[in-house]
Amino acid sequence: MPLPSRHRAPPARDVGRRELLLGAGAAALGGCEPVSPLSRGRQQASLWFTYGGRNREVLEHLVQRFNHAQSAVYVKSVFQGDYYEGLAKLRVALAANAGPALSHVVGEIVPYLAEAGVLERLDAIGAVAHHVLPELGQRGSWVGGDTHPLVSLPFNRSTPIAYLNGAIFEQGGLSAPRSWDELRDMARLLTRRERGRTTRYGFGCPVDWWFWAALVGQAGGHVAEPNGDITLGGEAGLRAVDFWQKLVLEDGSMKPPAGRDYNAWEQTNQDFLAGRAAMIWTSTAFLSYLEKNARFPVVAAPLPMRERHAVPTGGTHWVLLKSAPPAEKVAALAFVRFMLEPAQVIDWANGTGYIPVTQQAVLALSESGHFTRHPNQRVALDQLKFAEPWPWSTRLFRVQREIVQPRLEQAVLGRGRTRELFAEARRLARAD
Amino acid sequence: MLAPTLVVLATFYFYPLLVAVYYSLHAWDLLTPARYVGLDNYRALLAGGALADVLLATLRVSLTAVLGSTLLGLLLALAVNRPGRLAAFVRSSVFSAYVVSWVSVGLLWLWLLDADAGAVSALFRMLGFGTAGVLARPESAPYALGLVVVWKVAGYAMVLFLGGLQSIPPSVVEAATLDGASRLDRFFHVTLPLLAPTLAFVTTTSLILTFQAFDVVRVMTQGGPVRSTTVFVYSIYEQMFMDLRVGRASAEAVVFFVILLGLTGLELWAFRRRGAV
Amino acid sequence: MKARPLSVPGGIGLSLVALVWLAPYAWMVLTSLKSLPEIVAAPLSPFPSTLRLDAYRAAFQSMPLARYVWNTSVMAFGIAALQLLLALPAGYALAKLRFKGRGVAFGLVLATLLVPAQVRFVPTFGLFAELRLTNTFTALVLPFAVSALGTFLVRQALMSVPDALLEAARIDGAGEWTIVYRILPPLLVPTLISLFLFSFVFHWNDYFWPLVMTTDDRVRTLPLGVALLREQGTGVRWHIVMAGNVILSAPVLAIFALAQKRLLHAITASTS
Repeated sequence: MPLPSRHRAPPARDVGRRELLLGAGAAALGGCEPVSPLSRGRQQASLWFTYGGRNREVLEHLVQRFNHAQSAVYVKSVFQGDYYEGLAKLRVALAANAGPALSHVVGEIVPYLAEAGVLERLDAIGAVAHHVLPELGQRGSWVGGDTHPLVSLPFNRSTPIAYLNGAIFEQGGLSAPRSWDELRDMARLLTRRERGRTTRYGFGCPVDWWFWAALVGQAGGHVAEPNGDITLGGEAGLRAVDFWQKLVLEDGSMKPPAGRDYNAWEQTNQDFLAGRAAMIWTSTAFLSYLEKNARFPVVAAPLPMRERHAVPTGGTHWVLLKSAPPAEKVAALAFVRFMLEPAQVIDWANGTGYIPVTQQAVLALSESGHFTRHPNQRVALDQLKFAEPWPWSTRLFRVQREIVQPRLEQAVLGRGRTRELFAEARRLARAD
Repeated sequence: MLAPTLVVLATFYFYPLLVAVYYSLHAWDLLTPARYVGLDNYRALLAGGALADVLLATLRVSLTAVLGSTLLGLLLALAVNRPGRLAAFVRSSVFSAYVVSWVSVGLLWLWLLDADAGAVSALFRMLGFGTAGVLARPESAPYALGLVVVWKVAGYAMVLFLGGLQSIPPSVVEAATLDGASRLDRFFHVTLPLLAPTLAFVTTTSLILTFQAFDVVRVMTQGGPVRSTTVFVYSIYEQMFMDLRVGRASAEAVVFFVILLGLTGLELWAFRRRGAV
Repeated sequence: MKARPLSVPGGIGLSLVALVWLAPYAWMVLTSLKSLPEIVAAPLSPFPSTLRLDAYRAAFQSMPLARYVWNTSVMAFGIAALQLLLALPAGYALAKLRFKGRGVAFGLVLATLLVPAQVRFVPTFGLFAELRLTNTFTALVLPFAVSALGTFLVRQALMSVPDALLEAARIDGAGEWTIVYRILPPLLVPTLISLFLFSFVFHWNDYFWPLVMTTDDRVRTLPLGVALLREQGTGVRWHIVMAGNVILSAPVLAIFALAQKRLLHAITASTS
């Protein structure tokens, strides 16, 4: 009887081990990449993405749909942790010339990457670019965004919104606060204490640059002036911090900041779901997740105003990396085009809570009565009329991470004088 | 015979050290051309107390870990320095944490300390302590991290102390017993002095070890809240990869290296003393 | 100090001590067998209502964990093997050969202990980036090819090997390399095993170096993958994270259980 072939030592592995012993051959193992049967004979395109949990599942589902829908391109998606981690990996890979063809990055970093010359122009995408909602595309996301070559297309785009615990609000006969004062009163009213311990906070919000930017706008300021000067809102920037300080330190109606980066966001979500926060601000991105996991009705509402209504936009944009092989870039662009088709835009938005990014998708959703059935999903979209663009600044990302964010936490915890902290921050932001 | 070894040493140990010094004099973000800036990176570290904050955070985590693990290691060594299966089992159990990866330990304790559903948090709540979120407050986070490190490395201190205990000649202790010394007296006047060199050795090696902590910070706190757990290596990592400041990261690495050299000097001194006894 | 027999309360006390270390592992395993609603509903209830392996399935589905296990094994095995291959001739030269600068060479080897990975990663990354070798096994393995501990232990062990034995081999016509790779290894089996296991476990566990040197799934290792299981934003699924953690820690705990003495030998030697 002949030996079944698998009993013979597979030659590839043998070579691998010997080379390894020689210490040099490990690179050769790159050759044993597991090959999906779907990918055979197709142009591959690598996509680095940075969502966890539910949003990741929705994206992977859409990638799969793409890979099944056609037979020329195979998109291989690689998870890279959260936005910050993913961005670190991306820039490092670019420096080592080992980047992917496609990734998605937060708006604050796009000008930096564009000016560093690592982003491919996306003009080849064609007409689709004109169907993008202006506030969410390059034109409206940055001041003068359309004066620069097209290097980004919107993917998951968001604004901060308020989430109310429907049960608590109904019980108290309350509705969403429309001004800062109303929010403060309501937060105080809804806070519960038992034996010196706060069992429920009236309000919750990650002490994060993004929500601070919303407050700065509402207080009548701009993080950066239209001419690009990063003023951190001047007095409005201080009023924004002051509002948080009142809630946390004076009223005890908002939980002090917990954890860093996306840990804080995670914590805010969990507090809301567990009924430990009656009302929170977070991204519209979590709408679907919060609705699905809350044991009470979730009511989404626009953010309140002070001097005016204002929200920043957030989320990420598709970018194509120049360093990838041309064929791979073409393939990646085909995927972006697919993702901007109404069907995918709609499924992505409904599956997550992000804003549908094209006009056709919004139109289709309106006509089908979707927004009447799901008013929560309209909130972020409606807020776009108050959306404020970011400056096209290569330093914005550093200003956010290194200069503003740590001082926000410090100030809200009552350490150090806010005015001095921000005077220093402004100086650093301008000098750097 | 030595050639391969020396080539590796030169390429991956000594050359990087020189390059680190060179990088530290430049401003470079990996993507755009580097610019010579002299000592600016070092100045930036000193300005605004950035370096002092990092050093303070490192010391908080490190000293908690060193004091805790040394004390616990000594007590454990005294308790399990006996024959029998149970003692051997306890020795293995305690030491096993030293073998498991920092990532495992970090994730495990992050879960146990999770404010919502963590077992340890729930246990404390039941006992009436409101410990919801020891990792969420800047006052407690570095010490909580330090205690997790204690759990991980106490076994290592225990093993070293066991070695020290076993090298004490039984006759010395017997003599003290015959002189009528009580058990406590024997410990403080006979055992402890004889263990002093081991003690010095354990503290210095754990200090060097814990100064290099990174994984546990990265997994559990990402340096927060409010930078309270931004220890040295995490800070270097953050400068390099999150902020793409290669120059400043290198300057910090050079400073870190000098501090490690100082600590190693301390260790050698302790080592000499140990050898002398 | 003389060992005293154990009293009953003493025995109970010691068992409680062991529990402080064993209970967390047990909790990790138990968590990985539960469902998410169960975990949230009753944080302190120890046992899952029904035994589920869903978390393990989910862990493997959400990440190419099998590939990570393979990558980690290849890397740790490669480093451990390479360290032995280099430590043998180096230790031999330092122990048995007379040449100018031997003291300096030995000093250089030990000096590497002063330059931990945390100090050298920035320039080394730069070097590999230039050679386009980041995100390869080369970047993971090569910087650890020399182990000061390994060289030191081989040298120490060789000190007690009589020169006459080597002379005899030379008279039989053995060249120096034959001595190093044929004659010496059988004499050093315990040391070599200790070293290999120590190095394997250390690098299996390593998080820092793979974190900075890898960028995607091709060579990503298990500790990175398991840490990534803690996805942020929409609720950490702790049962899945703990399932990953079991996969990550079980092999080293198994090695520890089977070869405790050998591991301890290297670990204690690494400090004295």
